[in-house]
Amino acid sequence: MALTRRQFLTLMGGSAGAAVFFQACGVPEKELLIDSPVEMPEDLVSGTDNWYATVCRQCDTSEGIVVRVMEGRAKKVEGNVDYPVNLGKHGPRCEAGLQSLYHPDRISAPLVRTGPRGSGEYREISWEDAITRLTSQLNELSDSGESDRAVLVTNPVGGHLALVIQSFTESTGMRRFVHEPLETSVLRKAISEVFGQESIPDFDIDNSDYLLSFGADFLSTWISPTRYSRGYGEFRQGHQRQRGRLVHVDSRFSVTAANADEWVRVKPGTEGILALSIIQVISSEGDVDNAVVDSLTGGDISWLNSYAPENVSAETGVTAETIRRISMEFSHSPHPLAIGGGSASAHSNGLAALKAVYSLNHIAGNIGAKGGILLNPDSPLKGISAAAPGNSFYEFQRLTEDMDAGRVKMLLVRGADPYYGLPEVAAFKSRSANIPLIVSFSGMMDDTTSMADLILPENNYLEDWGTDVPLAGVGYQTIGFQQPVVRPFFENRGVNLGTRNFADVLLTAAQVMGKDIGLSGDTYKEIIVNGAKQLYDLGGGSVIASSFEAFWNGILQRGGWWDTKVKGPVSVTPARLDGVPAPVISGNGEFFLQPFASASLLDGRSASLPWMQAMPDPISTATWQTWVEINHRVAEERGIKEGDVIEISSARGTITALAMPNPATPPDTVSVPFGQGHRDAGRYASGRGSNVLAILDAVHDEGTGSLAWSANKVSIRATGDWVRVPKFENTVSEFPRDEHNQIIELTTEIEDNH
Amino acid sequence: MAENGQENSKWGMVVDIDRCTGCNGCVVACQSENNIPINLEEHFNQRRAIQWIRVERYWEGEYPDVKARFIPIMCQHCGNAPCEPVCPVYATYHNNEGLNVQVYNRCIGTRFCANGCPYHVRFFNFWEPQWPDSLKNQLNPDVTVRSRGVMEKCSFCIQRIRRSTRESERDGVELEDGDRGLNPACVNSCPTSALTFGDFNNEDSQVSQMKSDAMSGEHGRGYRLMDNLGTDTNVIYLKKVDDSVGSVHGH
Amino acid sequence: MIPGDFQPKRPTTGQLVKLGILGTFGLGIFVAIVLFLTFVLSAWLDRPLIFGDSGFRSGPDQPIAFPHKTHVQELGMDCTFCHRTVQKAAAASVPATGLCMTCHSAVGDGLSEIEKMRSLYEDGRSIQWVRVHRVPDHVRFVHEAHIRYFSESEGIQPSQVCQKCHGDVGKMEKVRQVETLKMGNCVSCHKENAAPTDCTTCHY
Repeated sequence: MALTRRQFLTLMGGSAGAAVFFQACGVPEKELLIDSPVEMPEDLVSGTDNWYATVCRQCDTSEGIVVRVMEGRAKKVEGNVDYPVNLGKHGPRCEAGLQSLYHPDRISAPLVRTGPRGSGEYREISWEDAITRLTSQLNELSDSGESDRAVLVTNPVGGHLALVIQSFTESTGMRRFVHEPLETSVLRKAISEVFGQESIPDFDIDNSDYLLSFGADFLSTWISPTRYSRGYGEFRQGHQRQRGRLVHVDSRFSVTAANADEWVRVKPGTEGILALSIIQVISSEGDVDNAVVDSLTGGDISWLNSYAPENVSAETGVTAETIRRISMEFSHSPHPLAIGGGSASAHSNGLAALKAVYSLNHIAGNIGAKGGILLNPDSPLKGISAAAPGNSFYEFQRLTEDMDAGRVKMLLVRGADPYYGLPEVAAFKSRSANIPLIVSFSGMMDDTTSMADLILPENNYLEDWGTDVPLAGVGYQTIGFQQPVVRPFFENRGVNLGTRNFADVLLTAAQVMGKDIGLSGDTYKEIIVNGAKQLYDLGGGSVIASSFEAFWNGILQRGGWWDTKVKGPVSVTPARLDGVPAPVISGNGEFFLQPFASASLLDGRSASLPWMQAMPDPISTATWQTWVEINHRVAEERGIKEGDVIEISSARGTITALAMPNPATPPDTVSVPFGQGHRDAGRYASGRGSNVLAILDAVHDEGTGSLAWSANKVSIRATGDWVRVPKFENTVSEFPRDEHNQIIELTTEIEDNH
Repeated sequence: MAENGQENSKWGMVVDIDRCTGCNGCVVACQSENNIPINLEEHFNQRRAIQWIRVERYWEGEYPDVKARFIPIMCQHCGNAPCEPVCPVYATYHNNEGLNVQVYNRCIGTRFCANGCPYHVRFFNFWEPQWPDSLKNQLNPDVTVRSRGVMEKCSFCIQRIRRSTRESERDGVELEDGDRGLNPACVNSCPTSALTFGDFNNEDSQVSQMKSDAMSGEHGRGYRLMDNLGTDTNVIYLKKVDDSVGSVHGH
Repeated sequence: MIPGDFQPKRPTTGQLVKLGILGTFGLGIFVAIVLFLTFVLSAWLDRPLIFGDSGFRSGPDQPIAFPHKTHVQELGMDCTFCHRTVQKAAAASVPATGLCMTCHSAVGDGLSEIEKMRSLYEDGRSIQWVRVHRVPDHVRFVHEAHIRYFSESEGIQPSQVCQKCHGDVGKMEKVRQVETLKMGNCVSCHKENAAPTDCTTCHY
């Protein structure tokens, strides 16, 4: 029948009205019911919150956090005001820990592979079954005398977990590798040679007045950004002090460079040469203790003179004037401080470069002084220390050769993602096809876990016990204690499913294999409690109690134990310096490739967390994708605009990234963030962006064999495709330009006293 | 409650741009505390991502003399707010504590308020916020989960103000200035302490002292954003210190 | 056309069918509107005639027929003995079954409701009470502040404050709602007691 418009509208109106009417009627039935609990502890009042102290594990800083828990659910993470590393502050990544706890793609039971590797086909098995499979394989290897053909790869771990892992690997005879994509071993070795310390000393930025940093993006991602940012706040506008001056030497415009009073752009790999040049200037013209210079140069200053500013100016790209000026500023400041790392260490001359950088502190004579380097004392507990750095890339390459030759029969991976984190040139993934059994302990899918044959998912750190000695020490004895703030999320799956603590799995496996690994307890918690007993017996520190029970409660309430009275040494004899050779750069493309740790994703570990994907990069405000920073004039010349899909080719491979021209990228450099390009990492990260780690060439730091990730040149090509870059900038319209009412007002006034 | 007698509090913030490093810690803390919907890639592409507090980055100059400045911007809780008189249903107004409040259940989504806000701090829920079931465990029960069609913006974590005021009265303990239960999530998270929150009606509070130092005479670093608009903001910014001569204000 | 020449045409079958359909639709819409208005107006007047009354007049049936009368009037128990969090938190809270068992593990053998409760307790299952008092969405009502205010200002016991909104629950066999708990209720009481009437006192 023919409908007139009027009839049509009547019908529509009627049915729409009916739809609204019927939909508006219902109150969801569950809101009309109150479930009363079976038992309710007196102190658990619904609607009130409790804050529990623990240690964050989202990055290696391990800040002390307090977690707000309401009715058994973790709601908010904040910094623990007492914890020495961060004193109440916390970084953006700590917050995202809640999303890792409640992530929809967490693995909730042990899995065994049913389809081909990488197909994602698994079926659930019980823990009993899983541990039996694990231990029977280990026993088999041991029976055939091939115990050392089992390899355990973990992330850097410290505290009691390191003790458990070490005891386990020693008693089973398996090999142990530690993997971190952006290695800290160069930094650790430099610190060890310059200051004689195994952990990283505290940098007293709070009280410094001239901070000279080389390559280390310490305000954003390097080592302990929360602690350094806390110091930076004081450095800038602390009470009763002059505002400090930050001079940052970097081959890229990083967040730290953006906040610096002066960004000194150096050609990649020449940071160490610049540092030696500064040492040369100060040694010859500045105020310095001659004994120190003698120690550093080995008594003969003539080799140092080859690093005079005029000689290095062309190589570093810094004018001799600037070098002299900075040297004099550094030398004349009452509290100068020099730090370095990050891209400065990621070159073939990384170790030599960092040794030069840190030796500037000897020149400044600031060891143990206010505003200087505060060395750490030994750990109060024997065998419990900060995490050791990762094995070098060179060592991993040797491992892949073993894999290729069939000398690895079992690969166990925990907390690390070597399939993602090692460049393709290492061929880790392809060579691991030879390995008969790959076991992963990860609680989430990642590139490595998705290729595993057996998965034994571990608890999230918010569900776990642990201890931690801060990687970047605070200058006095500190041990952080991690406690579960919620019950394990998959507890309701029963004792034989769900997730378990990794150390407990190792301990159980050892028991099943009949090995006595010689530790003080049968469960991980027992071992930690025994560690606390040892601290109690020391009789000092931040928790004063008359009984061990009260002491233990005190530790859990405060989030750890520390003793501000036990500090590190205040003097160190300067070690002899070597020269810094020119960097080796791979590839003959036009641009230096300067990758950088993303402020949100770091080296890729937080990619599965949506808050981190959605967190704008400070410099570009880009999110969710991989972009390439390119100088805007260079881009204009080549007709490249924002969003153009650019192919970036190194000597070893090609990736694509979205162009983001900006005014700060040096014209001879392109910068790409680490972190995306996961094959399988949950719904928020899989198949997204590109992994720039993959195309890096095997350039090694000569001192340690670490991966020189800053040492590549690439060529770029616009593919002609265009993808809108998801970014926050321009979500809201720009503020009007009004020179009398600037958005960012500047002043040259420095208040003296406030 | 303010210390001096019966007067109500006047909540405000001081933001020190010289301390801000642009880390975005405040942004994530706010999202965690206030049940902000997850901003997926498509939301950024539609320019409808929601961030109650955002960090804006301003370029000055270009390579090699280039600087980038960071400024965190949240609702300024203007005393003379352009967003308040235009709401047809009185869903947003200035309450007696100096806050510009948003009452979600009154809002009918005309978006007139966002139109008027010169700081662009108001965000509209163009889509129904969704979380996978397990992530809902993290949602804060103290904060309303907004549905599609409702305006939202920074509230200075009013839920924290309410809760800590109430709990301090219940326990008979005085609420101190700088109490971490009272501070908004962003203030507690900022690693450099660039953000400070407190009661401007309490002369002894840190913010009052910072404000009077900052706004007095030639040496004060304080200013208000777009002061020429006469919005009388409750957020005071402290100027970035740059001792280089002839800095160029740029894009 | 000449006036008076008008010949009414008989409707065609097609037209009759159309009329029938539209008429039915119209009738349906009319009925729907009447029902809707009945519902809206009666609910507005707190006497919902259709679609349930949410326990307003006679109180809903509960899974366990707990008699407040026995416990409060006859045994003299205090409200806050069971509803323990009313002085601490927003919700007065329904107590855990474990609390009931402190007496009823020994008392009340043979009574069917007690046996029901005991078996739920032993199975570790919660009791799904039907909610009687429910403030509308978007309202944050905090018991603690109200108990504190009234007990301090009127010098009464916390338990006596409960009656102001919940009526004399001690007399009830089945709990039912006595006050409408609509915003008008709340605001008039706030005005009478010089309590804040700012929207964001409750809606934030």
